[in-house]
Amino acid sequence: MSVSNLLENWSEFRHFHPVDDVPHNPYKWAMSIDLDACSGCNACSVACYAENNLPVVGREKYLHGQAMHWMRIERYWDEDGRDFPDQGAQFLPMMCQQCEAAPCETVCPVGATNHTPDGINSQIYNRCIGSRYCSANCPYKVRYFNWYDYPTTDNVWPAEMNQQLNPDVTVRGKGVMEKCTFCIQRVTVAKNNAKSEGRLVHDGDVQTACQQACPTSAITFGNLVDPASRVHKQWQAQQVELDKDAQAKDKANDKEEGGGSDLRGYRIFEELRPYPSVMYLERVRESAV
Amino acid sequence: MSKRHLLALFNNFDEAEAVVRELRSVRISGFDADKDMIVKSPIEHPEVEEFLGDKPVRVQWYTLGGALSGGLLAFFLISGSQANFFAQMKGGKPIVPFPPNFVLTYEMFILGGVYISVLGFLICAGLPARRSPLYSAKVSEDQIGILVQSDEASSGILKAIFTKHRALEIQEEAGK
Amino acid sequence: MKDIREDIAWAQINTDVLKSLENPRKLYWVILLIAIAMVGVAVGCEIYQYNVGLGVANFSNPHVWGLYIATFIFWIGMSHSGTLLSAILHLMHADWRKPIYRFAEAMTTFSLMTAGLFVAVHLGRVWQVYYALPYPNWRQVWPNFQSPLLWDAMAIFTYLSSSILFLYVGMIPDLAICRDNMNPGWRKKLYTALSLGWEGTDRQWRNFRVTYLTIACFLIPLAVSVHSIVASDFAMSQQPGWHITSFPPYFVAGALYSGCAAIITLFIILRYVFKFEEYMTLSILKKIVRLTFAIAMVWTYLNLIEYASVWYGHDQASKDVLIQKAIGPYAPFWWAMNFCGSIVPFILFFKRYQTHIPVLFSVSILLNLGMWLERWMIVAPTFSHGYYPWTWDHDQWPSLVQWGIVFGSFGWFTLLFMVFCKVFPSVSMYEVKEMVYHRSQATKKLEATGKMAAAGKGAH
Repeated sequence: MSVSNLLENWSEFRHFHPVDDVPHNPYKWAMSIDLDACSGCNACSVACYAENNLPVVGREKYLHGQAMHWMRIERYWDEDGRDFPDQGAQFLPMMCQQCEAAPCETVCPVGATNHTPDGINSQIYNRCIGSRYCSANCPYKVRYFNWYDYPTTDNVWPAEMNQQLNPDVTVRGKGVMEKCTFCIQRVTVAKNNAKSEGRLVHDGDVQTACQQACPTSAITFGNLVDPASRVHKQWQAQQVELDKDAQAKDKANDKEEGGGSDLRGYRIFEELRPYPSVMYLERVRESAV
Repeated sequence: MSKRHLLALFNNFDEAEAVVRELRSVRISGFDADKDMIVKSPIEHPEVEEFLGDKPVRVQWYTLGGALSGGLLAFFLISGSQANFFAQMKGGKPIVPFPPNFVLTYEMFILGGVYISVLGFLICAGLPARRSPLYSAKVSEDQIGILVQSDEASSGILKAIFTKHRALEIQEEAGK
Repeated sequence: MKDIREDIAWAQINTDVLKSLENPRKLYWVILLIAIAMVGVAVGCEIYQYNVGLGVANFSNPHVWGLYIATFIFWIGMSHSGTLLSAILHLMHADWRKPIYRFAEAMTTFSLMTAGLFVAVHLGRVWQVYYALPYPNWRQVWPNFQSPLLWDAMAIFTYLSSSILFLYVGMIPDLAICRDNMNPGWRKKLYTALSLGWEGTDRQWRNFRVTYLTIACFLIPLAVSVHSIVASDFAMSQQPGWHITSFPPYFVAGALYSGCAAIITLFIILRYVFKFEEYMTLSILKKIVRLTFAIAMVWTYLNLIEYASVWYGHDQASKDVLIQKAIGPYAPFWWAMNFCGSIVPFILFFKRYQTHIPVLFSVSILLNLGMWLERWMIVAPTFSHGYYPWTWDHDQWPSLVQWGIVFGSFGWFTLLFMVFCKVFPSVSMYEVKEMVYHRSQATKKLEATGKMAAAGKGAH
């Protein structure tokens, strides 16, 4: 630490992100999920378990809300009096939204969660002392705490399952917070490979586990500031921008009567202004067709 | 001539005040009313301070210095640590944000003020103090003591003054 | 009814208070053992939790905080009593605080020590709690100064150390009295060392007076800021039911409330146990009771205005949390909190009960129960009905491990307080002498002017 460093870079240290800041360069990892394509099959969730060494907590703990699913599939349906209400259920894959102005980052007392230069909300297990303030502040509640020491608990990876554990990812002991990392271990490998070849990561070089497993290709992941990437094109087509707190879809819907616009892109809880990096494409409803 | 201590105990502040006035007005060899007399009492006493005269109390200078340095130290320590080489961003807020830094500066301002005040108190009051050669437990109970230091020859005069003002007890330092 | 009898001999004050330092009776040891047993329960629960993980406390996602945070805030709140009496009333020249502020300040110190324990218990990795301290290291990793939890750490450290210093410095003349009146033994050695050779000289008293006043002036903003910072743990988050501007003053008002109620409880106990009826008079009790009532009304106002502001705003999430508090799973506790915090204090309104010891004892405990419930009701409902619909409709109750540790914290506080009362004078002897002296001087002056007026020689 140095006071001279502080004084030299004063203006750099004083700006707000992302609103009056330069966008990430050269990478900003973002995602888009097409809820119309999502069939709720849970393959993404299972793939996440496999890729990130998530412990299977068992029925009792799951019912108590102590599950560790970094990627969870939420089901929503209308209670409109029909016989099987969940027949028309909509599925929402929810994981850490990697917010640009993450409410969790400011409140960790020891600084175990920060924002990386390529736009991911990092969770540093070694630094975490388990105050759980980050989870308390998360609007999406996508942070999962290790309530028990799962690596030493029986049956979290029952026999044969332990053979699929990923050596690239640490296992977490009790008392640390964890969450979706956009498969940062895969991102790092891709960046390293690209660097050794003297180039940037191309679109498609890195796939997150959930994206890889999705049978309907509902999940798109890539570099938002790379104009050639699919995720950049999707965001652009939906007129969703990282540093806005209300999207074009909502404005267009407000203006038109009857049916909405063709825009389906939105982000969850935008009005709270965490500036999440995951865009959802609204499911095309029966009524809209 | 060697210096001797005498301790006289009185019942109330009025008697003690009378003694102090007389000691000041009378010229006694080997005795300086300002330097060789100490008044001890069980409670604090603006009245005694009045008749003893104003003596500067410097504790609050220590307070000022401590508070200011505490606050400044805190601000630069914190801002400097936030501006370290990896300068990680948190929550989209500036790397060196003012609201949290202000809160901590305020706390350390108070911390510095309190700690240095206590230090200043100990220094200004001369604590821990060496015990006086003459002391009576009555001073901490309900009597006012006046400790004087003078030449052996003058002790008779001093004792007379004390007795005149109804001293309850006079202690004398044993001869050497 | 006078606050204190003006003709109490100063020697008598010494004798009466020093009597409290005598060897304790059997009942003392019994209660002390019970307190130690309670602490044992808490230690046992914590060892279990430390080894197995916080899951045994019945936490879950999203319900990640519970009684530890609530009780932490409760103990910090109770610590405001000492500062209120010592500092605020000192600046207001309310000398009726003099017989009672010593034990109130001790209460402050021990409450803070108890609260500090909860910070540790609440963490997932207690053994690394030192990460929260700003110490230089090779990796240049510093704690996150933006976090209100870290402000807590700094503020509580400041408050605890300042309270201890204030308590100690204010006790130096009393320690000198103890030193002068003890038979040789461990006590005499202790008091001789701690009294730093104090002899009540003019120089010492002058500096003492100024220092005491100065530290009192610092302690008041410190106390306000400490509990505001604790309130910031909630107010600085975005969650519905927490992101409320009035939280800092609301918490401070609740803290003063808690503290005053606890003072009444301990006042009654000490008065009875040490036979301090001459010093902890019913007149002073009445003043404290009235003060408690006033603060209860302040707290009630801030509580109700919080509901009003939720009603006024269009923030549906906050409205839902408030409705959930009233009719959801925590409703009985929320209503109990409102009853204990806002209705029960009205008993203190009636003169008949303002000096009625059994009523006051039970009322003070009920008030503190209400305040503890208030802290819990701030923590829990927001988790049970936050922004995200997927997290709703779950029941989460603290496990016996949590209750055990909360229970044990009271034992810890009792233990510390009981040891304090037997080692240090729980009534400030020199200040009571000052009180008696100044009041008798004032009465004499009044009588003198009265006599002159009666004799036809008006003073003016």
